[in-house]
Amino acid sequence: MRRRIITAGSLVWLPVLVCFLTLECATWAAEIKVEAQLLWGTNDRKSPNPKHKPVGEETRKKLKELPLKWTNYFEETRKDFKVTEGESTRVTLSERCEIEVKNLGNNKVEVNHFGKGEKVVKQTQALPKGETLVLGGNAPNETAWLVIVKRIE
Amino acid sequence: MIESHYSSAGDEALVRASQQGEMVAFEELVARHRDKIYARAYTIMRSEEEAIDLSQEAWVKGWQKLAQFHGESSFGTWMTRIVINLCLDQLRKQKRHRTESVEAIAEDSGGIERQMPVVIVNPTAGLERVELRQRIDQALGQLSYEHRTVLVLHEFDDLEYKEIARVMGCSIGTVMSRLFYARRRLAALLVDLKKDSK
Amino acid sequence: MKDHESELKLQAFLDGELPDAEAREVASWLAKDREATGLLGELKNTRQALVGFDRGIRLPESREFYWSKIQRQIESVSAQPAPEVQVSWFAQLRRLLVPATALALVCLAGFVALKQGGASAGAETSLATPGAFTYRDFNSGTTLVWLPYPAEDQLATAY
Repeated sequence: MRRRIITAGSLVWLPVLVCFLTLECATWAAEIKVEAQLLWGTNDRKSPNPKHKPVGEETRKKLKELPLKWTNYFEETRKDFKVTEGESTRVTLSERCEIEVKNLGNNKVEVNHFGKGEKVVKQTQALPKGETLVLGGNAPNETAWLVIVKRIE
Repeated sequence: MIESHYSSAGDEALVRASQQGEMVAFEELVARHRDKIYARAYTIMRSEEEAIDLSQEAWVKGWQKLAQFHGESSFGTWMTRIVINLCLDQLRKQKRHRTESVEAIAEDSGGIERQMPVVIVNPTAGLERVELRQRIDQALGQLSYEHRTVLVLHEFDDLEYKEIARVMGCSIGTVMSRLFYARRRLAALLVDLKKDSK
Repeated sequence: MKDHESELKLQAFLDGELPDAEAREVASWLAKDREATGLLGELKNTRQALVGFDRGIRLPESREFYWSKIQRQIESVSAQPAPEVQVSWFAQLRRLLVPATALALVCLAGFVALKQGGASAGAETSLATPGAFTYRDFNSGTTLVWLPYPAEDQLATAY
């Protein structure tokens, strides 16, 4: 019969498939993907470090909306990483700058920023997809350092 | 008469005519807004002479930049921004040539205002308008230009913290600290002036 | 009063610069804290005293005299040809030196901070020090946390 596509044998596998998908979904829900960037803000047209590249249009626009006085931003490092719920991932953005992101679940994260290995700030907040956290401070010669933490998945 | 025709025209029409090169129309705009532009320069600079020069320079700049004015804000607000920027440039130049006082540095780092007792009684209550103006004028004159400017931009131009930070080229936190200090210091100065007048 | 950050928050509350949730927090804090209420009263009085102050300032020159100088300047500016832009060797040298110096200062800053240890950057509680502030841009979904790191005094003296 052409209409009997689902056989009894295949039905045995159905609960297994459901269990597998449920577990997978739970894992997906518990894991977030984050992008971190280390930037420098300056009013000069070029970055002091030729290796730095200008930030992308999207980031530039976001930064323009913030009450910051710098006209140009240059990227030193960009890293993508995953963080499982209840766990932390620490990434090095430069010799002196590291961040640690802890996935607290329910779209909440705890971001710890370290300068020279010492904790500078702990920020706990919701970080749903598309949300951005910008940490920053003044640097010499009227420049600024900025760490951008963005949830991408 | 051309002049009387312009005197009854709205700012928008005058701006359009000025953009076509009609200097008579521009003169009418100057006449209408001259007190406001001068007042802004004076509150920041605290010198009549400098305020007159800078406000006139602002009008010249305004004329040169008229093509860039598309009515995003009122003409008066646009001109006010020009004169504020000129005053801040001037003060920055002057600052380069003088050493900062210890007090100014301490003010910027914050903290002094925290030791000031809270002024419970309103020191301006019951004052005549003229007397009140004199006291405020005196007290404003005793603030550093950074503190006075933040206060002026916030109280007289209704700028938000974010906008002040942009205009002054500093962080929003600096704006908040300076505004807080300026207000607390002004309150204390008004109390002192009240005591002195007794 | 709690700390300087709370004082600034109180001021932001007065100026209508706080998001609703934070404004509610401040309102309930005010209900319990007399010192904070007193400070708010002082800030309000100062703000009130300034209302209309600048409207009383008048230009101390006649319309004609004031305008004549503006007119002369406009005419002289319009008559002048645009100045030719010439870049001096000093300006060129400065263009090279400024970024190079900035880079050197960043490196030096790092070195000094390492030498001094984490006095300013040790614990989470160091964030409560004056100078750290948060700004929220609701349109772009961005939170900005501006930190006093490296400390201003280190910036001023160490570089």
